[in-house]
Amino acid sequence: MEIVRVSNLQKAYGDNKVLRGIDFKAEAGEIIGVIGKNGAGKSTFLEILMTLKPYDDGNVLIFDKELQALSTSQLEHVRKDISAVLQPTQFYKTLKVVELLKLFKAYYKSPIDIEQIITDFKLEPHRKKYFDKLSGGWKQIVSLAIAFLSEPKMLILDEPTTGLDPHMRNMLWIYISEYNGRTGSTVILTTHNMDEVELYCDKVMLLNEGVNEVFDTTEAILSTGYKSINEFYLSKVSI
Amino acid sequence: MLATQLKYDLLMFSREIFYMVFTIIVPPVTYLFMGQLFGDVTYAGNLNYAETYTPSFILLITFGVVFFAFGFDQVMNRTTGVEKRIILSPVPKRTLLLSNILRSIIITSFGYFLVFFIGLIAYDLSFQPVNFVLAFGLFMLLNAALLIISSAIYSLFTSMNAALVFSIVIFQVVMFTGGFTMPINMMPKFVQVIADFNPVYHMNQLFIAVWNGQLEWNAATLQSIGFIVIATAISLLVLRFGNRLRKSSLKWYPTTRNRGGVVQNESNTGH
Repeated sequence: MEIVRVSNLQKAYGDNKVLRGIDFKAEAGEIIGVIGKNGAGKSTFLEILMTLKPYDDGNVLIFDKELQALSTSQLEHVRKDISAVLQPTQFYKTLKVVELLKLFKAYYKSPIDIEQIITDFKLEPHRKKYFDKLSGGWKQIVSLAIAFLSEPKMLILDEPTTGLDPHMRNMLWIYISEYNGRTGSTVILTTHNMDEVELYCDKVMLLNEGVNEVFDTTEAILSTGYKSINEFYLSKVSI
Repeated sequence: MLATQLKYDLLMFSREIFYMVFTIIVPPVTYLFMGQLFGDVTYAGNLNYAETYTPSFILLITFGVVFFAFGFDQVMNRTTGVEKRIILSPVPKRTLLLSNILRSIIITSFGYFLVFFIGLIAYDLSFQPVNFVLAFGLFMLLNAALLIISSAIYSLFTSMNAALVFSIVIFQVVMFTGGFTMPINMMPKFVQVIADFNPVYHMNQLFIAVWNGQLEWNAATLQSIGFIVIATAISLLVLRFGNRLRKSSLKWYPTTRNRGGVVQNESNTGH
């Protein structure tokens, strides 16, 4: 089942053309890593998929619906099936973790039990902490827990593991993989960690100079002779 | 959904020391303190301290709440990225706006009754039901005008620090030129000139008059009403122009491209 189809997507900030004709497709259950150097347009691309950013040209179909044709209420309906971990992760700083979960449960009209989420994500010791007082890693975990509350068909993660220690990174990936395996949802993420891409992603899209230079399965890329995705990246992207 | 949002909005307000100090703590304490200093003085219209400054301090609380908890809060959420995350959730924008407005009305009404009861207990403030109802009606209208003015002003800020500095400075300016500390006619000439251009000063004059049943339809009253109406109208224009500008510069989704003969209209983009 096709979740996202993007064709000839173009986006500029003034004279700076960030996206110059992206073609992209995501099927249900896929984990897709979007890689590229800083300023390549990865976050812009993801924010367009999140319905947060406008685009100048091209087509973006999410759940078979062209974004630009949607009314406000239709757009809000589409957002029920999309969730995200943004960069940087920000929520109301004076709400406690358990209160944030309750608030977003109301936003998404989620049937999921908050206590279950707290148990699943090992949030019990942090439930009464203010979001602002959490460490970067726990902020990401809470953000992911909130993202899962809506049981999204598409989960978008913008550099979710940046700045996390190996344990927190591992923990985050266990949750993402488990959720993906259990629900068959699509996960699209950006990262600078090529090991993560190699380990967890089914497909890789390399953004370079505003175009998707490569969009293929991780296996197919490695089968062309690269020892790792890191080597592939270094050979394709210059400073 | 609205009830949940409102509950958490009120909770967040109560946890913001900055908002609490400037809105719920400083004005009533100042009201009490000044009453000890000037409690025996007779003011314009042959009014005593409580009759003059009870409505004034209610209005000061309202100004503080609307400018800090409504206006500045919007800038904070916009610049820290909270707004972006909220937009991504399917909560209707009108729910968020309505909750924000209701929060302001609830807190300012709390301030209204707080100062009123302090006046009753500490300064023998008289209670006249008709004036009280009329004053509360005007208070709601002034609340609405301040919400619009605050929204327009803070829509211009893109930096939290700039908004914070502005908020603190404007609070001081309004304190001194709004007639909240001492009568404007006892102030230097330049302060009186600034007061003439301060909509909150005109609100204060009207509110004191209605509170005490002294409203007269004379030139001064009409001037005050006119000034408030003009300030509110300009704010509405700023909001409208700002929204249009944002839409045209962002072009949230492509609107005028012809793709396969389909030309979309901005109005159905949802932004």
